[in-house]
Amino acid sequence: MDVVTSQTIGVEVNGTTYEREVEARRLLIHLLRDDLDLTGSHIGCDTGNCGACSVILDRTLVKSCMVLAIQADGASIETVEGLAGEEQLTPLQQAFSDHHALQCGYCTPGMLMSATALLRENPKPSDEEIAKAIQGNICRCTGYWNIFEAIKAASE
Amino acid sequence: MLLSEVAYARPATLEQALGVLAEHPGARALAGGQTLVNVMKARAASPDVLVDLSGIPELKGIELGSDGTLELGPMTTYTELIGSSEARARPILGEVCAQIADVQVRNRGTIGGNVCASDPTNHLPPVMVAVGAEFRVSGTGGERTVPAEEFFLGVYMTAAGPGELLTKITIPPGRSDGFASVPIGVDGTCIVNAAASLNGGVRVVLGCVGATPVAVEPASADAEAVRDAVRDADLDPPSDVHASADYRRHLAEVVAARAVERAGKGS
Amino acid sequence: MTETTVTEPIVVEEQETRPRYAGQNVPRKEDKRLVQGEGVFFDDVKRHNMGYVHFVRSPYAHAKIRSVDVSKALEHPGVIGTLTGDEVALLTDPFFQISSPPGAHLKDFCLGVGKARFVGEPVAAVVANTRETARDAAELVEVDYEPLPAVTDARRALDDDAQILHDDAGTNLTWEGLYEWGDLDAAFAEADRVVKISELHFHRFNSTPLECNGALVEYNRGTGQWTLITNNQFPGFAAIMMGPAMRVGLDKLRFVTQDIGGGFGNKITSHPQLVACCLLARKLNRPVQWTEWRTDFHLSMSHGNERWFEDTEVAVKEDGTLLGFRTTALDDAGAWLRYEPLGGVIWAQVTPGMYRWRHIRLDFKQVVTNKAPVSPNRGYSRMQHLWFTERIIDIVAHELGLDPVEVRKRNYIRTDEMPYETPNGCVYDSGDYAKLLDTALELIGYDELDSRRADAESRGKLLGLGIGSTLDSGTNNFGQSRLINPELQFSGNNEVATVKLDIFGEIVVTLGTTPQGQSHETTAAQVVADILGCSIDDVNVRAGHDSYWNSHAGFSGTYASQFAVTGLGAVKGATDMLAEQMKKLACVVLGCSPEDIELAEGQARMKENPEAALPFMALGAIINANNAGLPEDLDVTLNCRYVYRPPFQPPDVERKYGNLTLTYAAQVHVAVVEVDPETGVYEIVDYAAVDDCGVRINPQVVEGQVMGATAQALGAATHETYTYDEDGNLLTPNFYDYHVPHALDMPPLKTGSVESASPFTSMGTKGMGEGGGAGIHAVCAALQDALRPRGNPIVFDSCNPYHSVWELLSDPESSRQRVTVESR
Repeated sequence: MDVVTSQTIGVEVNGTTYEREVEARRLLIHLLRDDLDLTGSHIGCDTGNCGACSVILDRTLVKSCMVLAIQADGASIETVEGLAGEEQLTPLQQAFSDHHALQCGYCTPGMLMSATALLRENPKPSDEEIAKAIQGNICRCTGYWNIFEAIKAASE
Repeated sequence: MLLSEVAYARPATLEQALGVLAEHPGARALAGGQTLVNVMKARAASPDVLVDLSGIPELKGIELGSDGTLELGPMTTYTELIGSSEARARPILGEVCAQIADVQVRNRGTIGGNVCASDPTNHLPPVMVAVGAEFRVSGTGGERTVPAEEFFLGVYMTAAGPGELLTKITIPPGRSDGFASVPIGVDGTCIVNAAASLNGGVRVVLGCVGATPVAVEPASADAEAVRDAVRDADLDPPSDVHASADYRRHLAEVVAARAVERAGKGS
Repeated sequence: MTETTVTEPIVVEEQETRPRYAGQNVPRKEDKRLVQGEGVFFDDVKRHNMGYVHFVRSPYAHAKIRSVDVSKALEHPGVIGTLTGDEVALLTDPFFQISSPPGAHLKDFCLGVGKARFVGEPVAAVVANTRETARDAAELVEVDYEPLPAVTDARRALDDDAQILHDDAGTNLTWEGLYEWGDLDAAFAEADRVVKISELHFHRFNSTPLECNGALVEYNRGTGQWTLITNNQFPGFAAIMMGPAMRVGLDKLRFVTQDIGGGFGNKITSHPQLVACCLLARKLNRPVQWTEWRTDFHLSMSHGNERWFEDTEVAVKEDGTLLGFRTTALDDAGAWLRYEPLGGVIWAQVTPGMYRWRHIRLDFKQVVTNKAPVSPNRGYSRMQHLWFTERIIDIVAHELGLDPVEVRKRNYIRTDEMPYETPNGCVYDSGDYAKLLDTALELIGYDELDSRRADAESRGKLLGLGIGSTLDSGTNNFGQSRLINPELQFSGNNEVATVKLDIFGEIVVTLGTTPQGQSHETTAAQVVADILGCSIDDVNVRAGHDSYWNSHAGFSGTYASQFAVTGLGAVKGATDMLAEQMKKLACVVLGCSPEDIELAEGQARMKENPEAALPFMALGAIINANNAGLPEDLDVTLNCRYVYRPPFQPPDVERKYGNLTLTYAAQVHVAVVEVDPETGVYEIVDYAAVDDCGVRINPQVVEGQVMGATAQALGAATHETYTYDEDGNLLTPNFYDYHVPHALDMPPLKTGSVESASPFTSMGTKGMGEGGGAGIHAVCAALQDALRPRGNPIVFDSCNPYHSVWELLSDPESSRQRVTVESR
């Protein structure tokens, strides 16, 4: 079978369909940020540890720096930009603000995606489940305590 | 970030996948990508072609035989395994997978990728050896079965050679397994780990202390016997920023004994 | 027409008393954009035709660069251009050095010129049309290196056979200063005991902001100006480094930033890379974009100062009264002095820590090594020194068989001594350290310590409790730089804000600061709304900073715990001016005198007759768009700028004496750890952090800073370390090996606060946010306490990963050999 070094792919992100030609080596996070101008998802490391690039790919939470853009052909992706309605923050976003769960805001998009994925699967998580759900997201500002409180509040 | 140029194929069948691998000597299989993509970011590996295995149905799925034997498709993700009722036939598998990395990595990372990466700090290689797993390795020339203890050949090297793929993991029935580790932080990278299985004998397999898992067979499940067996194994573990060789040798004894103790409770 | 038309005064039915915003947990103005992914970080900005910069980095810790050949890179499809050290040496001058000689002689360029001095040092740069191509081409640059022996241990840097890093300096000892205050001989003569500690080590780490450094740089050929969209957190400093090096005036450098993904001091010294980008943008006549990746950051950016304390002697009375100490501080600066040797004096802001000892001698030596350059890191230089003073307290208590709580209380500076002048002339403004300690101990349940210890023991664990007490000195007197180099013409400090009332009544605030999560938009609005008597929703604080449009002063920026004093001081000053002008205008319109006017509910109105009121909109409209007929001498613009300048004198350079900082926030942290004696693995099972930063404008924001600083301290205390091998390779160059705390790693946290208003600031506030060092010490002390039953080992390092604890457990004696107690 043929191998390709680049390919035109189609992805649906937050309900909008995009077609772009991508090199096979391009990571999904670079597609989102550089090619689609969806700069809400961030990059904080180069080893798949920090989770700032977390998105929901076909209903599964992933780190978009460990997925090739070409692998997302035909996929449906949710990013932080798609969470809120026109004027309405989600309860989780509002809880992050209410509980001062963000300072610089750089990890926040990835953190919100992890917490969103958690609450969809498990609307009433235990304390330990919350901590485990955001273990793959590094925050250097808050120490996680307020993030934890925000997720707890949004789950109630 | 910023991988070297690479070609890509996403075969729909095993046959196609083996064909691409055979055709391109510099090709590598891409499982969940949770290790390989990072290695490529560092440009520590730059394969010519990535053969994405995610579109091959026969590499997925978990089947439980009537005798309790588990057959795992290597492209099964950790999350799928953790959630699988069949996989609970050998509880250690789900327990250990739940300790690997984080949700995102578990959602995409695969058990086949974990063992084929043959990273000495990975969780599953010692577990697979301890439970007596068998790996089916397929190539264009046919397939063969490799016992887990013969599968791991070195750091990043396994019995699945160039042009070959791991296509099935078979786990015999058993319950009395245990796993213990000293990771960096809670559920972080392992400094030393050990898996034990007491299904007809005492078998302890240590990770992070050599290029491949190190199996020891203590005379009994008694903690001192386990420690003696580890001591007698003359381990030659690496020294790095996380642990000296001496510390790893010491931890090996401790986690081996703890794994055996947990295995005893799991029976 | 000579009459001014005004809007009808609004009739106010009832006078409400609205609570002040200051002191409230007002929701953050920053949050709405950030939780929607609508913040704008430097890497989010694009320009047509921009090229991507990739730096070629040295694989050697120390090597001569014989040649750099970019020809293959230039031939690579998609490559736009390159920059080499040879070009840089022609186009720029070396960066200004803060140090007196011999450090002054270093020739520091934006790329390695002639030599590479640490692994990861940029030696060339490539620009290409995609990020990936730039990296591909960077691999094609051929650098011919001649490797040299590397200096990787500061203690060996001054050996006779040590390789010299900088031939221009002729020595690896780039700065040295002897600090001595009081009468050491008398103190040691009076001592009952002298505790000697041969060596303590404060390790190398930094705060790893989640966003790394970077910039998008455009060059305007017509005007010769560069626009740098960058996350540098101290553009004023970057500009004074860059302008002279690039041979241009500072107004040619426009710094623009909106949101910054954390800084913690680590984003102060990106000026070398920014210069390289400026040169490339000019050379290639295109915008260029540089994104630093995580590994680049770890290899090259702003490590915290590593420091060794050698041959410490502590003079102490039998009852634990501390008289004085002497020590040698050996500071490892890494390969370049990018902000150094300021660390050689910054520590002196907190010379005695929280304690009353009066006789102190510290011989500070700073050496260069083949490691990444150090630069400010949250708690900059004070953290190292405070860890040292805290370690002394606990080792003394330990060795003399005294209670560490009692030793602290015996020696803490007392409330009735405030303001307290330290032996070196610093003035601690206010504080109640004993109360902080009591509060923290109560939060942790100190009374039940014995039963918890017994409970842990029953589970095979060793339990220990440790205290860390620190000061977060804020608002620098930059005159302290003269103690480093008497030639320097810096002193004092300043910060700017503008506040204006616009045509439709909008209140618009601009700041000279460059926040990275410190909530300046919110807290500034709280102050403004309180003074103007309006809703906080009507106060629009511009996000970010643009040096062409935001007024700024020489020391503007966000660093060194000062916003609550300097930034809010400027905001208050400008708002007071605006309020006065609004009243002046209102009284002209309403025909009364300014004293008759009050600002409330978004209006200027007569105190005695609230029905006679002008809404802000009317005031804004009159001055901006309807001003004919106003009295000629009415000096009202409704656009007010204020420069806050703290009351400082230059210090006495000879005596190294003077007030170096304006405010002193204080922290006491208490950690409880449980150690598994079989493995050395430990868990922080309980934790309390109590902070006193004077008046808090927004308690939730303050608590957020306390939490964040605590988390960073716990990471540093347990796992985070930049460790190098003998060849100068960094062993922790990414988040895989450099383990920062995750959610599961965090202990339960109890926070508390004490409020000792600063008498020296207009609102009683103190700068804060850098007090996390308390946590590093609290963990060290808790470990030492826990391990006591196992041979009394001494915790001598600030970082104690599991293997270190195991070494203390398995060989306590070798740590004990570091300490001797002499009776007099």
